[in-house]
Amino acid sequence: MKKSSIVILSIIALFVCSSCMKWEYGLEEDFSAAGEGLFITNEGNFQYGNATLSYYDPEKKTVENEIFYRANAMKLGDVAQSMVIHDNVGWIVVNNSHVIFAIDLETFKEKGRITNLTSPRYMHFLSDEKAYVTQIWDNRIFIVNPQRYEIIGHIECPGMTMENGSTEQMVQCGKYVYVNCWSYQNRILKIDTETDCVVDELTVGVQPTSLVLDKNNKIWTITDGGYKNSPYGYEAPALYCIDTETFTVEREFLFQKGSKVSELQLNKEKDMLYWLNDDVWAMSVEDTHLPIRPFLDSRGTIYYGLTVNPQNGDVYIADAIDYQQQGKIYRYTKDGVLIDEFYVGIIPGAFCWK
Amino acid sequence: MCILLVAMNVQAQDNEAMDKEMTISEVTVYGRRPMKEIGTQLTKLDSVALKENIALSMADVLAYNSSIFVKNYGRATLSTVAFRGTSASHTQVTWNGMKINNPMMGMTDFSMIPSYFIDDASLLHGTSSVNEVGGGLGGAVKLSTKPAKNEGFGLQYIQGIGSFSTFDEFLRLTYGNKHWQVSTRVVFSSSPNDFEYRNRDKKINVYDEDMNIIEQYYPIERNQSGAFKDFHFLQEVYYNTGKGDCIGLNAWYINSNRELPMLTVDYGDDTEFDNRQQEQTFRGVVSWEHLQEKWKLKAQGIYLHTGMAYDYNRDVGNGNMASMISSRSYINTFSGQMESEYFLNDKWLFTATLSAHQHFVLSKDKSIISLNGEDAIVGYDMGRFEMSGSLSAKWQPIKRLGLSVVVREELIGNRWSPVIPAFFIDGVLLEQGNITAKASISRNFRAPTLNDLYALPGGNPDLKDERGWTYDAGLSFAVGREGRYSLRGSVSWFESFIKDWILWLPTTQGFFSPRNMKDVHAYGIELQGNLLLDLPKDWKVDLNGSFSWTPSINVGEPVSVADQSVGKQLPYVPEFSSSVIGRLSWHDWTFMYKWCYYSERYTMSSNDTSFSGRLPQYFMSNISLEKLLSFKFMDLSLKGVINNLFDEEYLSVLSRPMPGINFEIFIGITPKW
Repeated sequence: MKKSSIVILSIIALFVCSSCMKWEYGLEEDFSAAGEGLFITNEGNFQYGNATLSYYDPEKKTVENEIFYRANAMKLGDVAQSMVIHDNVGWIVVNNSHVIFAIDLETFKEKGRITNLTSPRYMHFLSDEKAYVTQIWDNRIFIVNPQRYEIIGHIECPGMTMENGSTEQMVQCGKYVYVNCWSYQNRILKIDTETDCVVDELTVGVQPTSLVLDKNNKIWTITDGGYKNSPYGYEAPALYCIDTETFTVEREFLFQKGSKVSELQLNKEKDMLYWLNDDVWAMSVEDTHLPIRPFLDSRGTIYYGLTVNPQNGDVYIADAIDYQQQGKIYRYTKDGVLIDEFYVGIIPGAFCWK
Repeated sequence: MCILLVAMNVQAQDNEAMDKEMTISEVTVYGRRPMKEIGTQLTKLDSVALKENIALSMADVLAYNSSIFVKNYGRATLSTVAFRGTSASHTQVTWNGMKINNPMMGMTDFSMIPSYFIDDASLLHGTSSVNEVGGGLGGAVKLSTKPAKNEGFGLQYIQGIGSFSTFDEFLRLTYGNKHWQVSTRVVFSSSPNDFEYRNRDKKINVYDEDMNIIEQYYPIERNQSGAFKDFHFLQEVYYNTGKGDCIGLNAWYINSNRELPMLTVDYGDDTEFDNRQQEQTFRGVVSWEHLQEKWKLKAQGIYLHTGMAYDYNRDVGNGNMASMISSRSYINTFSGQMESEYFLNDKWLFTATLSAHQHFVLSKDKSIISLNGEDAIVGYDMGRFEMSGSLSAKWQPIKRLGLSVVVREELIGNRWSPVIPAFFIDGVLLEQGNITAKASISRNFRAPTLNDLYALPGGNPDLKDERGWTYDAGLSFAVGREGRYSLRGSVSWFESFIKDWILWLPTTQGFFSPRNMKDVHAYGIELQGNLLLDLPKDWKVDLNGSFSWTPSINVGEPVSVADQSVGKQLPYVPEFSSSVIGRLSWHDWTFMYKWCYYSERYTMSSNDTSFSGRLPQYFMSNISLEKLLSFKFMDLSLKGVINNLFDEEYLSVLSRPMPGINFEIFIGITPKW
């Protein structure tokens, strides 16, 4: 028994040789980000909860990554879709986490959150107490009270069910908010903000992806045209100029079928349009033809995000690379000169200027 | 530690005592490998591992009994396995000769395979898989059932009760005589699966009246939306003529209803969302086997049906659940297989196999309203014919040397694969210690799956096949003394190159699409060992261990100048993994300790070490204690299990909660007729 006991004890000791593992739970870090800045929402990989927020100081040319995690010691969530600033508070829409976080713009600390949204995409402020939140997989636009972090109502969107529901970006002209309906949709909705009802709709091409309002109060939208064999339809993408007075298409510019157009943006003066189509393209809102040469050539990968600095017109392009590593941001002057580049998080998709 | 000291007084017995009893007399030291296994890197799982407890799936068994990587998305949730730094779709899986990889996605969910339904399991590492099946760039898992070999009627019933209101029930009825062997097995498992865990990914806010945050804390949450009900039914009938013919029928029906657990970063109210996957699968095999002195012929007819339903609903008010996603897929596969072996003499063995599969797939991913106002479905309806044939010759010119050549050819749709050759060699270097060397080399390829090619949106008909070649070489030894001890071990080196690795990635159009993205160089070392000890006073020890070092490196061209992934380890592939299982037995008692380890895993292809860029290494320890009681009219087994003994907080995949310490008890009854 003595021998066997020694053997058995030795084996047990081997089994218990290692067990405890070390977790590094982040401590809250103090930030003080004064002045101009650019927030970059990095979507992360769908279903992996690794969305992050980056902050870039254009003057110092410095970037801080994972600032939400570092400031709050918790994750941002799954698929950071967009960010908007209202009254010195940043609102980050995290699509597959069903949440919108409010953060302080200098410390990046959380100030509150709106939860239990269906699948939020974008947020548009009407006042301190009222904002709209668009959704995918829901035929409702939620009305929220940002001060109380509450959902207070919703707008029923006609012509869509929950399953093919899709409302996206919003622009406001007077008392009307215009919304593009993207996934398996082809419409721009017009919402009366006093009654919170859809009062009109305009049919455009297949799947309008983004929406801006220029200096002439004209709405611009760009469609992606769907995809090959889509039962909804597949056509050449197009750029539309819509008159807000008459709510009709004023001008239409067709791209080649199969073009991967997205990310329509405006400069500070709201007189120059930018978009992605493999390369970066730009044209004046007064132009009558699409440009024949890109503003910036592609660097070999498909660009994923685009923004223009409202202060000086610098153009920032997001490169998701292989969608599994830190994406890279390229910063160009408005004349197309590369002046900085930096890595951020996985799949940088949207920007927000402070 | 107290538990361990108490456990020193225990000894082996088991539900299936005949199979599980540890005796050194079972350990025969082989100087020669069976001809069919010449040069192969093979891991066999014994019935002790497979029949450890009824709550285990094959994913659980493989995690602790092999060095292959089990990627676990949560308890009773998708679990995939991968060999040698490859991906789940590079692991081919067969059940009673039937390839059961999902033809739409290419992978197999091992959480859907109860280990009690498997009587034989083998892992064929790398090249060795070419002997059985094509497309196993990482390897193959070969699962099968076999006749119970009982005389008369038999019954076994096991009831398991565990933490989180988990109930597992297993019933097996058998009947056997000289010619017939009939077995019916049923497993039913259910649980709300609402285990508690400290959620470190989110904080709860406490607000004052003005909605200022006055306090934040990490909540202790329950696993939300994780309930499951899994039912499995397996009917087997074997008829042996006694004159060299055997006819078999295996029919396996699965009915699974599982909620999909919410991520740790989900701020939805689980009472307002219903996220659920339901599956009905039938797998049927009719086989005929004819044995003669020098040759064997086997033919199989196979039918496979899988219906999957994925529903994501939300409460739009007053309890009205509206469908956000309602996705359906149906797979019907008809297969026929032939296999023959011819023993020319004791030096030559020839084999030939031919299998043909016709897949029919209907995928309905989404309901939409088309431009002209009509209801339409986003999905695809496709069929694909696949054929695979192989010829092999095995030669043992002298007792100590074996050589084997396999040539395989496959037809996928209308595309012929390149010829897949494999060469194996083994030889006994030293009879003392049975030191055997073995080596193999092969080419391999894997065709894109049906989803890869045709999924809407995203399918990419221009995808190229994944191609690769691999070689391995190793040494093994076996020493022992009958009735005292046996010690076996093996070490092998492997290296493989895979070109045009297929990955699903997002697009700017808002959907995912597969692309040939990477060239991968995977290499490393696998170690395995087994020690059996027969100690004085009826103490017995059985110790199994494995260790893997598997760098899996992206060696492709950079996607762009910004690409930082070249030369880096693939995401979610651990560089090191290990497992140990130890059993102590004494008379009717068995104590078992299971331990496994996965090293840190990167979550980004660039191997960034930021907060979200890596998952910490983890060690997992489980223990169990079992006592067999034998009465006049029945055998009774009692077993207690503690999982996650040290209550580790760990993750296998980002944002997927895993349970802490939890407990199970099992009562098994085997009447004596």
